[in-house]
Amino acid sequence: MSHSHTHAPGESHSHSHSHGPPQPQAQPQMMLPTPDPASQAIIEADFRPVSLIVAPEAYAVFCQDHKSEKCEICDQDYVGLNRLAKILATNPAIAAPPPPNVVSRNLSQAVNHTKEEGNTLYKQKKHPMAIARYTMAASIAVQRPPWETNQFMREELSTIISNRSAAYAESQDYISALADAETVIAVRRNWSKGHFRKAKALVGLGELQEAKEALQLGLAYEPTNAELSAFSAEVEKMIQNGDEKVKDEA
Amino acid sequence: MASVWVPVVYVILVFGGLIVFSYFYRKRTASQALEPYFPTHPDRNAYVTLLQKTDPPTPDVILKAALVRRAMTDVQRVMRIREDKPALQNLLQKGSIGDDLWNSLLAAEKELEAEIVEVMAEANSFVEGWGPVIFQTANEMIANEKMRSIFELTAEKKTELELKYGKKAHPQILVPQVNVSLTPNPPPSGPAPSGAPSSPSPPKISNGSSAQTPGGPGSAPSSDGEASRSPSKAVGITQNH
Repeated sequence: MSHSHTHAPGESHSHSHSHGPPQPQAQPQMMLPTPDPASQAIIEADFRPVSLIVAPEAYAVFCQDHKSEKCEICDQDYVGLNRLAKILATNPAIAAPPPPNVVSRNLSQAVNHTKEEGNTLYKQKKHPMAIARYTMAASIAVQRPPWETNQFMREELSTIISNRSAAYAESQDYISALADAETVIAVRRNWSKGHFRKAKALVGLGELQEAKEALQLGLAYEPTNAELSAFSAEVEKMIQNGDEKVKDEA
Repeated sequence: MASVWVPVVYVILVFGGLIVFSYFYRKRTASQALEPYFPTHPDRNAYVTLLQKTDPPTPDVILKAALVRRAMTDVQRVMRIREDKPALQNLLQKGSIGDDLWNSLLAAEKELEAEIVEVMAEANSFVEGWGPVIFQTANEMIANEKMRSIFELTAEKKTELELKYGKKAHPQILVPQVNVSLTPNPPPSGPAPSGAPSSPSPPKISNGSSAQTPGGPGSAPSSDGEASRSPSKAVGITQNH
């Protein structure tokens, strides 16, 4: 069978598509629909060999001409492939990426722990250290195995970055706070906190109109959010005060 | 006098001509090459290239990873076709586009179905029963990758915003780069005994994913975007807090 994966030592792969016509699936226990030979022929015709090289010891694939993982000139990007290959290589117990509902608990604990440390530092007004902690927590969170349900990473990442944004805002670094808030919104668009943080950062930068728009966007996602409404009213007042001042000066 | 058969023969001739003509016409249109809807499939090409390497044969882990990437591209294409189909149908009814584009889409859809069946078969050949799971995995990985890239672009966003508002972000505090990293010696932690209670993935995973930092040329650091400013100090951190 040309599709069986016989990789006994000494035997070459019998997967290859250039050797003879493919045979339709003859494995009744699979209950897969048999592939249409005409479509398979089209797929085969579409094949163009790629110039890449394999570094078996490093479990990585590189472009042939420049030996780089991500090569603009050859238009090849193997960063993701190599990352996954390495994860699989260092965990030989995992034959294949498991279904998404399998989650690694240790990671969540580590992330939470670091985040709590950051929170404590934030409450103690030690903002630079809190920021450092949050950054560390985020980097741990990002190392979650990519095949797990993205729900957890989404929540963890958005909470941590939103806290970091608050810490930046308290340190008067509104640009960084804004950058973080934008990240939070991009990761989790319907979360009110993200929009709230963005508005806070914009107010810190003095951009009241944009802050108001950010809040309105947040309210569009969550119309009943008290925090957003209260802050929105505040920003309105600030805008009016600002207008009055301009009028007085004029 | 004309025989009775004349009208019959006439009718047969007309319809016969129609049948013959439509037969040849359909054959002609079917054989005309259709413009491919998607450009080449780089992940599929990479996978097959890797498969064909016999000297030395590529390690299984790389093949599996390549197969997952191929599945990811397929999933993205499926979503794209799902979005495009009703829109194209609308345009077709209104007459804004020609038949060619629609036929290309249908052909691409068919090809994609065959491709998916093939990927499932290949997955099953690596590990029994992996076939259905691989597409769920691909789905999650796409979302994961998107989040990762958003996160890693935070630093660039900062510079963009600095330009926009004319203010500078405060200079970065030098934080030790936290790669839960693989030091050249065996990992300092003793993850083996404890192990994760319910998941098959031992805590070593964290080491694996950042092992690329020593080796990978120009690969993005696996932690946050600030790494570009802070010195890269590998801090070995155990997972078992």
